[in-house]
Parts: sequence; structure tokens; C-alpha cells
Amino acid sequence: MPPGISQKGDGHMKKINRTYVMGVFTLIVAALIGYGTSKVPEMLVSNEPGPRLFPYISAIGLAVFAVLSMIFDGPGEDNKPYLDHAGYIRLIVIMAECLAFAVFMNLIGFWITGVAGLFAFIWTLKGDKKINVAVCLIFCIVLSSICYFGFTRGFNIPLPKGSIWESVGISMI
Amino acid sequence: MADYLTALGTLMQPMNFIMMYICTVVGAILGAIPGLSGGLGITLILPMTFAMSTELSFSMLVGMYVGGVSGSFIAAVLVGIPGSGASIATCYDGYPMTKKGKAGKALSIGITASFLGTFISIIVATLCSTYIADIALKLGPWEYFSLCLMAITMVVGLSNGSVFKGMIAAFLGLFFACVGTDSVTNQMRFTFDNYNLFGGINVVCLLMGTFALQQVATSYAKGEQEMPKVDSQGLSGLGLTLKDFKDNFRVICVSMLIGLWIGFLPGMGSGISNIIAYGQAKKMSKHPELFGTGVDEGVWATEVANNAGVGGAIIPMISLGIPGDSTTVLLMSAMTIHGLQPGPMFIQTNPVLADLIFATVLISAIAIFITELLTKKFFPLLLRAPYHYLYSAILVIAFMGAFSATTSMFSVYLVLFFGLVGVIMDFFGLPMTPLMLAFILGGKIESYFRMGVSYGKGDYSLFFTRPISLIFIIITIYSLFGPLVRKVLKARKAKTA
Repeated sequence: MPPGISQKGDGHMKKINRTYVMGVFTLIVAALIGYGTSKVPEMLVSNEPGPRLFPYISAIGLAVFAVLSMIFDGPGEDNKPYLDHAGYIRLIVIMAECLAFAVFMNLIGFWITGVAGLFAFIWTLKGDKKINVAVCLIFCIVLSSICYFGFTRGFNIPLPKGSIWESVGISMI
Repeated sequence: MADYLTALGTLMQPMNFIMMYICTVVGAILGAIPGLSGGLGITLILPMTFAMSTELSFSMLVGMYVGGVSGSFIAAVLVGIPGSGASIATCYDGYPMTKKGKAGKALSIGITASFLGTFISIIVATLCSTYIADIALKLGPWEYFSLCLMAITMVVGLSNGSVFKGMIAAFLGLFFACVGTDSVTNQMRFTFDNYNLFGGINVVCLLMGTFALQQVATSYAKGEQEMPKVDSQGLSGLGLTLKDFKDNFRVICVSMLIGLWIGFLPGMGSGISNIIAYGQAKKMSKHPELFGTGVDEGVWATEVANNAGVGGAIIPMISLGIPGDSTTVLLMSAMTIHGLQPGPMFIQTNPVLADLIFATVLISAIAIFITELLTKKFFPLLLRAPYHYLYSAILVIAFMGAFSATTSMFSVYLVLFFGLVGVIMDFFGLPMTPLMLAFILGGKIESYFRMGVSYGKGDYSLFFTRPISLIFIIITIYSLFGPLVRKVLKARKAKTA
């Protein structure tokens, strides 16, 4: 069996040693940083270490400590699962909602996305709890409006108006 | 003394006082909202001050500054998300205290520590401004580099869990700090020809991603959807006893000195001092293993230190014309706009205005202390909001805060990216603090190192031959390898026994 993977007592579920996985993952990241650094144009200035030094230090530091962590921390890892199956699904759902929020914020503007996004977040995070849909909608509209008008009118900080509306010449609020 | 009394009299004029008070309260509110800060408030009111008298302008601007730093602990204590970088370490024990049902106590400590930090530091600044400034002039890039390095390794060495994992997080933070245009050669590093990255990664995006988004996502995934219960104790009056002060006297004094010193160093602000003070408090504690589970010292240390940074940052601004942190840069811009010349001659040419700035910090600190004490009982109302409403609002405000930092959608995508980085780090058990500190200090470490090498004409030995720099490097090595050596010795002892 490869290092980092162990068989659980019941023989059905495999557990991974997260420290070993972290070590390998960090080594890959370090290699990518090292490769990216080699592509940074080196401009030689007298008595100056140059722009590549610190990214190289980061890459070497990551690699060295990843190996040390695998050697010293790996054997002591308790192999406790990070999340159960349902937990991973919940994580994917909430991250996907955040991604959708960001995309729609750009497309249809902050105000509409704020209302719809808030409602979607509340619906997801509530779990098994019951909510009053009308109260929830009012909350979403009021909070999004306070944020939108507070920022755009109060602080004079622009928030996205929506590229779709702008492309067809519709002015949203 | 006569100048100080004149300045105090000017500040207490009704118009000046009322505007200062309003700005202090607004600053505290902005500081309490994750992603916003007192610096934003100063930026917003700066154009309004053009037509105002210099005295009124600085009463408002300085009030906003003090309020911004003071209010940042509220969100850190109540929801575990720092209002700004100044309260990152306050989350570590402030939020666990809230989870344990001690929100009232945590808020009382936050309010009192913030007041003590600002109040005492500004008295020190008023009395010793010119003397302390002389010391700073003697430090060069070698000392600043070693100090930054020491700050990171101290935090890594003292963080819970593995030192190696702490160092991995720190090097990751250092890498993120390298993204953008190289300050010396103007070469692009890891920008992928994206102009949004030319100026580097915005700290607000990193904060919102690794704290707000990561926390909401992981708590939901782990099924931790219960809001902490709010205690009714400590919600009226000061909420602290004399014993609390006595027990934490040493932590308060040491954190005060750390905050003053870090705030006083150019370019280092409350974002750094609170983390270092937290590490030091943990090191001094008789029960360091309890840090992170909701101990009083953790909150005392961070809140005294970040607020002491206010007095510390004012010293080089007034005495040397060098900004102590990013917000004092804005205050210095305001000075220039009002036709003043910040620098060593400022106190001599504008003695009353210099004292007005000191007096405003002092009076604002008292004003916000009283206001926060009187309104403290309303803060935990936030925790009575259902989890799904509060955390959804936090997500939306985090995205909005990131967008407003650069007015670019790219920042919103960066929040998503750093949220994912935060989740992956949580999965691998990598600590977040070294990453944050290395990111904040990374740019400074690099520029001081390169300046040091350049000034020394390629001589690297100056980092080790200058006494103060050497002391910092020795502490760096000790804080990194000390815990490791102790661990190995302990294991060997146990084996032989």
C-alpha cells in the first residue's frame, strides 16, 4: 500500500494521511513557483539581488518544510476525517453559490444579485430549520438596498451595475 | 504646556468637539464592519476638509483614525471575523470566549484594552515624541529586515501545532506578497499579464477570503450552525473587576510596549503589533496551551497592542514626517493639503497643531470608551440573529467590501480564490496566522533586504554585524528552533527514563 493511505479496520473505507498529501501538494506548488520564477526576466542591477530571489526563497522554503513536515509530522497524524460525505457536498454547494454570486454580481449588478444571492445563501445555510419566506425576502431587499445605496450614495463608492444592462443601455438605479 | 492647553481649548469648542465625536463614532462603526476601516472614513471626509479650518479638519480626521482602530475588535469578538487587520489575533481568543458564553467579558476586555492602549500610548507620545524619534533615525534597512523576520518566526514558533506547517504557511504568504510589480526593477512577477495584479494582491481580498468566506464555508460544511449563546454578565458597566487588571497587568504592560514600538516603526502598523503581542502573551503565559480556547490574556494583549500603535504611529509622523502606518499616510496627505510641512520642524513651527493632534487622540479615546461602554449591551444583539441570516449577510458584505477596496470585480474573484486557499489550508491543518503575517510583512522584508544589500554594496554580512540586527536574528533563530530542540530533548529524556 502506498505511503499516506491506510486501510481502516473494517476494510471498507480508505483513510488518507493528510500530512503526506499536503507534503506532495506543497512540493508541486513549490515546483510551479520555481518554474514561474525562472520565467521572470532577470534585470541585473549592480549590488542588487534581483526580482527572482524572494520567489525562489518561497519555493525552496515550501519544498524544504514540506519534506520536513512529511518526515516529522506524518507518522503522528491521527487520520481523522476532515468532513463526512454530506459535509463535502455542503462545502461544494456553498462554494458554488459564492462563485455564482460573484458571476451574477458582474452580469446583473449588485442590487439584484444581493437580493437573490442573500436569499439563496439563507436558504442553503438554514439547513433543516424553517424560515418565513416573506420575512426572509423583506430582509434580503432591505439589507441589499442599505448596502447598495449606502455605498453608492453615502460613501460614493460605485458597486457593479451589471454588464448586461450596460451593454443594452439600460440604467439600473 | 501652554500650547497643550491652548490646543485642548480649541478642541473643546462645541463645533470641533461635536464633529470630532461624530467622526470617532463613525470610525468605530466602519472599523467594526469587516472590509472597511477608519482609513476609508478618512479618505471619504478628506475632500470635505479642504474648505474647513485646519483645527476642525484634524479634529475630525484624527477622531476617525482613533475610532477605526478602536471598533475593529467588535466583529472579531462576536463573529470571529476581524473588522480590519488590526484585530486578526483578537479572533483567536475573543471568538472562542463568545462561543463559551463569555461575549460580555470579551467585549469588556476589548473596550477597556482599546482605551488603555490608546490613552497611555498617546501620553507617552506627547511626552517622548522627540526623544523616541532620535532612536528610529539610527535604525537602517538591516534592522528593519531582521525585525520583520523575527516577527514571522516568533508567530510560527508560538503557533499551535507543527512548526513546519507554520513555516509552510509563512512561505506561502511570502509568495503571495511577491505577486505584482517588482519595486526595484519594475519586472512583473506572477501577474499573468493581468493588470489587476500589477499592484499586487490587495490585503482586503486575502482577509475576506481566508477569514470570512473560509469560516462560513467550513462551519456550514462541518455542521456548526449554532450561534454562540450570549451571557448577560458583563454587559452593564465596565464588566471587569480589579482582579482582572491585576491578573493581566504584565500582559498589558508588555503589549503596550510592543504596540508603541511597532506602531512607531515606519510602515509597521496595528496589523502587525496585535499578532506579535499575542505571540508574546502566549510565551509569557503559565498556560500557553489554553491560548486559542478563549483566554482573557489573548484579548488583552491584542487589543492593547493594536491601539497602542495609534500613539506609536503618531510619533514618527509628528517628529520625523514619516508615516507609522497606512492611515497616518492619509493624515500626512491632509497636512500637505492644508499647507503644512510634516517633518522634524513640524513641532517647532506648529506647536499648537501638534498638540491638537495629541489632544484629539486623547479625547477621542475617552469619548469612544464611554460610548462603547454605554452601548455595549446592544452589541450582542448581533448574535441573537439566526445563523443563516447573519452568515449570509457576512458573505454579501465580504464580497462588497472586497469590491469597494479596488472597485474591480477581480477583487471579488480573488476573495473566492483565497476562500478556496483557506479551505484547503484548513483541510491540511496549516495555520492561517503565519500566512497573514508573512503576506503583510513580505513586501517590507524584501525591500529592506534588497535595500540593505544595495546600501552595503553587495555586503550581506551587515545583517549580522550590526548589533541590533544581530539580536533580532538571534531571537529569530531561537523562536524557530527553540521549540523544536525542546521537543527533541523532551522525547530523548522520555526515551531514556
